[in-house]
Amino acid sequence: MTKLSELAAQRQDYSYAFLDEFAKRELRRRILKSIALPGYQVPYASRELPIARGWGTGGLQATLSLVGPGDTVKVIDQGADDSVNAANLRRFIARMTGVATTTDTLAATIIQSRHRIPEERLREGQVLVLQVPDPEPLRQVQPDLSKARDLHAEADYALMWLGLYEQLVRYETYTGGSSYPVVVHQRYIMAPSPIPRWDNPALHQAAHLTLLAAGREKRLYAVPPYTDVRSLEFDDVPFQIESQAGRMCEQTGATNKFMNVIPQPDGTERYQLSDTGYAEKLARHNRGEPTEIGETYYDAAGRFYIDGVLKQDPLTPGPSPTGRGEAQQE
Amino acid sequence: MAYVAAKGGEQAIQAAEQFFRNLNGTPDRAFVQLIERHMPYLIDRVIGEGSLYAPDLAALALAQTGGDLYEAILLLRAYRSTQPRLGYAELIRPEEILTVRRICAAFKDIPGGQILGPTLDYSHRLLHLELLDGAQHNTGEQAVANELPSVDQTSGLEHLRSPIPVADWQRAAGLLDPLPEAASIHPSEIPDVTRDPVDFPAPRAHRLQSLARADTGGVLALGYASMRGYGLAHPTVNEVRLGYADVQLRHPITGVLFSAGRVRISSGEVVSNAAADTLELGYAATLGWNEVKVIAGSMLDLEMEKPNPHPAHTEDFVLYHTEPVEASGFCIHYKLPHYVTFASTLDALHRARASDE
Repeated sequence: MTKLSELAAQRQDYSYAFLDEFAKRELRRRILKSIALPGYQVPYASRELPIARGWGTGGLQATLSLVGPGDTVKVIDQGADDSVNAANLRRFIARMTGVATTTDTLAATIIQSRHRIPEERLREGQVLVLQVPDPEPLRQVQPDLSKARDLHAEADYALMWLGLYEQLVRYETYTGGSSYPVVVHQRYIMAPSPIPRWDNPALHQAAHLTLLAAGREKRLYAVPPYTDVRSLEFDDVPFQIESQAGRMCEQTGATNKFMNVIPQPDGTERYQLSDTGYAEKLARHNRGEPTEIGETYYDAAGRFYIDGVLKQDPLTPGPSPTGRGEAQQE
Repeated sequence: MAYVAAKGGEQAIQAAEQFFRNLNGTPDRAFVQLIERHMPYLIDRVIGEGSLYAPDLAALALAQTGGDLYEAILLLRAYRSTQPRLGYAELIRPEEILTVRRICAAFKDIPGGQILGPTLDYSHRLLHLELLDGAQHNTGEQAVANELPSVDQTSGLEHLRSPIPVADWQRAAGLLDPLPEAASIHPSEIPDVTRDPVDFPAPRAHRLQSLARADTGGVLALGYASMRGYGLAHPTVNEVRLGYADVQLRHPITGVLFSAGRVRISSGEVVSNAAADTLELGYAATLGWNEVKVIAGSMLDLEMEKPNPHPAHTEDFVLYHTEPVEASGFCIHYKLPHYVTFASTLDALHRARASDE
């Protein structure tokens, strides 16, 4: 005789991809809205996940709402696949979905990242999910959220430009580090998440979709494919990326990629590629193993793949706008 | 499961968790039950901040984390967030709460009486060192009352009364403005802080829900600042109430009201004079008995209404910064590597220095 337990659905303590279907539906709707309004911060409920808040729960919710059995997921933190935080998020996604994971940027359909964009160019159909600690680019000039929202609505960014001008007056250079603000499609100023300035240009006219999600702050926003993304700069003082001049990866010999600085006991520095998936492939290639390496955003000479995005070639710094030579870090 | 094991990180995670277990032991079912039975106030705090009334799961969370409160609350919240909302309970009215404790500081005596209830407020805070020497405490195991009387035990609870709120008497006496006529609203229309992001100014429902889930220590710190001298009001405790409330649901087919269970709840209400001639109320309530939190929370509720309040009493400041899961999570995220952002900072610093020269 058939038993009732055979007919009933098997007990599952958690849904596929952890989030229940109501939560997934809400997230997908908010994601669609964020794509329709590039750079606009869409509020969402932001459920608690079994990962500490502020450790990528926003990005994780976006990933979990998108991931399906056909996906391949890559997770990086500071560019590294093997950092404990990246490993932990990847392990959680795999545990809750059974999805395939990879360290190869080219093989991934969804890439969740904290603080980096891979060196290899992303292509159409890929989704980059960036974890965001603070989604509000105006926080420094307007901490009050409702007032900042009004400024966005009216595209009143005078305070941001004033701040930029003050930097030039005081230091003769822009002083922003990572999370350098960008203008998305001539409309919203957006925090690109704390990626280095090196990665900002990769968002411009990108073939892939970028989703940015803040779990604690409960905001989602997006850069759809082929959208203009320009870092804040004045016409006569170009935005500058972190100089990688003179740095060579000690493991792969790569140059003109974003490098981790490894301080040495004798006071000197060594360099390693920040993008470990890319480094792994270069190492395989150097050993003569067949490896498919994608086109990169910056070529070996440090030129960005789209002309005119960076107004000043980071390799051959001409006379700086202030009339002084550009700071060279060796 | 297709899985590319990235080197290093994963083994480190497993080894670290193993080390934690080796150091702290692996709890079993009996231990979890002991916590639930004997640490009710700890359970109440976790239930309140975890915003899930599940004493057994709260005890399990505490056991699993070795008593790390923030971790336990996160465990409970993460579990809660996977649970669909199946129904809406009926409103709980103060006069229906089986009240074990109800005190009012504003009057010597009040209609319904002062009910001191179970409290250590007036006990001498002396360590019973003799317990360590094996002495029996005079209240043995069998003397512990059932903390969660079931419905059929109600006959034994005649001593639990449901006094009308002090505020009702004050309204009748014209001391407080009458309650505004509440529009009939379906429970699904009530703003829900677990399903919508808070937007400021927050709907009152969001504010009270946020305070109910807030970090006890955070609410106390901000509330204490207000009491100690940064506040604008000098409130009086109108009512602190601890009790049991029935969670009543309507049967989806027959429409019959039934009790799905009984929960411990606490509420606090403070009163202050808004102008020379009127009084106003501050209110907070939580699942579980959390006296300190409801008193401090009700004071913050009162303060947040004021024009030009101290930053610690502005609504978004209080509600954002007392959210335990978000505050603790963000605090510990600083343990994560930040070398890419730090490299970017250094690059900007070198540029600024170079231009100084």
